[in-house]
Amino acid sequence: MSATGISLDVTRELRAICGEEYVTEDAADIGRSQFDGEHPIVVVKPGSAEEVTAVLQVAHARRLSVKPAGGLTPKRSEKRIDVVLQTSRLTQVEHYDHADLTVGVGAGMTVAQLNGMVAADRLLFACDPPQPGRATVGGVLASASHGPLRHGYGSLRDFCIGIRFVTGDGRRAKGGGRVVKNVAGYDLMKLLIGSFGTLAVITSASFKLFPAPRKTRTFLAELGSATEALRFRDVVLRSPLAPMCLELISPGARNLMRPEMASEAWVICVRAAGSDAVLARYRKELGSAVSREVEEQDETRMWQAIENFPVPPDEFGGNGSPTDFGQRIQITVAPRDVMTVVDTLNEIGLQGKIYVAFLGRVGIGHVLAVARDDSSGAASPTGLVIDALRTKLAANAGVKVESADNPWPIAPPNLDSMRAVKQALDPNNVLRGKDIL
Amino acid sequence: MRIPAVVDQLRKIAGRDAVLDRPEDLMMYEYDAGVRKHTPAAVVFPQTTEHVSQIMGLAGSAGFPVVARGAGTGLSGGAISPEGGVVLAFARMNRILEVDAENFRAVVQPGVVNQTLSDNVAHLGLYFAPDPSSQKACTIGGNVAENSGGPHTLMHGVTVNHVTGVTVVLPSGEVVRFGGKAAECSGYDLTGFFVGSEGTIGIVTEITVKLLRRAERVATLLGIFETIDDGARTVSAITAAGITPAALEMLDGWTLRAVEAACHAGYPLDAGAVLLIELEGLAEQVEEQAEAVREVCVQQRAREVRRAKDENERALLWKGRKNAFAALGRLAPSYYSQDGVVPRTRIPAVLQFIEGIAKKYGLRIGNIFHAGDGNLHPLILFDPRDPEQLELVQQAGRDILEYCVSVGGSITGEHGVGLEKRDLMPLLFTDEDLDVMLSLRNAFNAAGVLNPGKLFPTTRVCAETRGASRNPVLAAEGM
Repeated sequence: MSATGISLDVTRELRAICGEEYVTEDAADIGRSQFDGEHPIVVVKPGSAEEVTAVLQVAHARRLSVKPAGGLTPKRSEKRIDVVLQTSRLTQVEHYDHADLTVGVGAGMTVAQLNGMVAADRLLFACDPPQPGRATVGGVLASASHGPLRHGYGSLRDFCIGIRFVTGDGRRAKGGGRVVKNVAGYDLMKLLIGSFGTLAVITSASFKLFPAPRKTRTFLAELGSATEALRFRDVVLRSPLAPMCLELISPGARNLMRPEMASEAWVICVRAAGSDAVLARYRKELGSAVSREVEEQDETRMWQAIENFPVPPDEFGGNGSPTDFGQRIQITVAPRDVMTVVDTLNEIGLQGKIYVAFLGRVGIGHVLAVARDDSSGAASPTGLVIDALRTKLAANAGVKVESADNPWPIAPPNLDSMRAVKQALDPNNVLRGKDIL
Repeated sequence: MRIPAVVDQLRKIAGRDAVLDRPEDLMMYEYDAGVRKHTPAAVVFPQTTEHVSQIMGLAGSAGFPVVARGAGTGLSGGAISPEGGVVLAFARMNRILEVDAENFRAVVQPGVVNQTLSDNVAHLGLYFAPDPSSQKACTIGGNVAENSGGPHTLMHGVTVNHVTGVTVVLPSGEVVRFGGKAAECSGYDLTGFFVGSEGTIGIVTEITVKLLRRAERVATLLGIFETIDDGARTVSAITAAGITPAALEMLDGWTLRAVEAACHAGYPLDAGAVLLIELEGLAEQVEEQAEAVREVCVQQRAREVRRAKDENERALLWKGRKNAFAALGRLAPSYYSQDGVVPRTRIPAVLQFIEGIAKKYGLRIGNIFHAGDGNLHPLILFDPRDPEQLELVQQAGRDILEYCVSVGGSITGEHGVGLEKRDLMPLLFTDEDLDVMLSLRNAFNAAGVLNPGKLFPTTRVCAETRGASRNPVLAAEGM
């Protein structure tokens, strides 16, 4: 009798592909509790794109369910997984010439490793997701993750210039290339970024890099209400300033991050890079609304807390996301509609049963919310927030929950087109997702 | 259905005066700004999304291929009709539907001219960033199809970075909406996938674009170099100094003399090359960067670095750059422009290679290009009346693109693949890469009704056709 849900034959096949030591039936090392307890799984760690291809070909032929996994940063409760495909061995550097400001690396490299490598040449990989020491390049692409740098540098959609992947039906292919400007063929980077691993397993990717800022400073404006805070955001957006980061922090979020500094203020954080003359200009433009300026270590720590929200600062280096908050809900709307999101979240919080905290890149219309049950009554605080958003937001708003079975809790309006794409790349639903499309 | 019957049906859909079928009218639609030609069977001017939907329904049932066309300024043959094809020309869908300054967005129809949008939002201090050299004529629908660039894409990105939503008519006639005003949508990023699909997935009828705020300070510098090599090395030296200019353009000496004769832009007649460098942003930052750029240029042996004193001087310098292609028309009956890309550190090497190619084939090749992002535009002058010369020119173009790919580059940075470079796709992509792309095209456009014969190599699509069906539309794929 097999110890797993898949036959010994399959396990043998996978071992023949990846090597004995890289196929295990013991999922403990990746955090067994993250997966459904009932259904046993096999964990494979392919060492190359060729091996990923062979694994997916087996899965496609045998109609197995495969879950691609990077750093497993969000908690998961996946159902019906036969094989977890970990990208941890795909950490190669495919190309790097600092003078070209481009780099290509394997999907299993962590964001911290990548940034460490390019920082030596005073360059920046401008994606700052939570837990950069665990988050992998493949994972941040699949979930279209971002952090506060999203405001000034754009998203992965803007600076991923090439992608290599294996489709659910086992075809190894690529889109884009290694140069910063390229329109040859379909833009498969866009298709795979944010597809949550439902179309293909990303094996490597190339990116534009940016010159790292040499000196930065953050200006904090504490305001009495969300309305005032968003008005101040508009002042910044209409000014000649072009900050690296522009973040709103709700009182609830601030109290979580800095309990010792609890207050009812709404904070707008403006992070600027440049010389003393440039920073002086920021001070002048932002005016008397700014109550505090932070730089150097204090500034770094503050932005780390924002990146990792809601994980408490003393847990950044830890292995999980030890927080009693549920999943991170990412909401993207047109900038003007941020007020609707804020009102909706506030209303839920005022009902007193659940604690809602949020922050976000409000200059581009982004809000990141978390909810906690404070009454031991609500079945799912996250679900309540999503239900409320569903009634208030336009159908084409972006709402995603990175760690859920269904990352798009509000059904996207183009399901037929999404299904057509899914059918083209993964007809046997090896990479899951058909149930949510 | 025979063509006269198709024309009757098209007139019923779009109106009597909205269909052209006389040979003398159709001639106007047989070419774009590239070198290929083919006369369509008819041209129709839809005025609404509903018209486009009905026309697609008719195309599916009557079995004629459809090609969308903006202003016909494309350089890769993307808007050239196949045999028996109907051209959907968007000249009458040219309205700006909404300017939403509060959200930094505009919603436009595909026939809106690129420059017109910027002109219409200028009073709000806003503009649309993608700026192809043809921006006074090219349409935003065409920009979306080709994912067009322009000089200022160095800092701001190409068209796809500025489109957040599209309304698309699929080959079935179904109308779908991808994205919207939000910077990200739920589900797959079908907007991003659609932009640059060269009219092979669907036809765009409404586009939501980002508008950017005009910078408070712009500095335009002209770095003048004795040799092309010095100019080329300066390009990566500027980025290595941590400066990202808004635009960084290069003209070689021969080209700038031709441009100067036509445009009187103020370029020096005896230089080996010039770099046109534009910086924009906060005044303090721009002034610091301008000084830093000047220093880098001098270190790289610039003979002189000039700065435009006012908006007139700046406009004049750009006039020379943007009208350069036309200026070369004074020197030869036609030109063939290539669009290869190389990593920017390879610019000196690729320019030497191009010089070698010019000698090898006995051709005149000028270089005027987006140096900052390594996007070359070698302009090969020729006489199209001489078929042997055309073949030679195309061979020289292929040699240059092969070289670009061999150093890690691409065959097209902003013009698209179209007809012109479809058979060069295997230089970049494996059979399996193309197979995946083709399966995505077929997910939307399996019968090949939309823009057949574009983007994919003829060999690949023929194989697909044999395996698929005997649909007459697919015969056009091997055009």
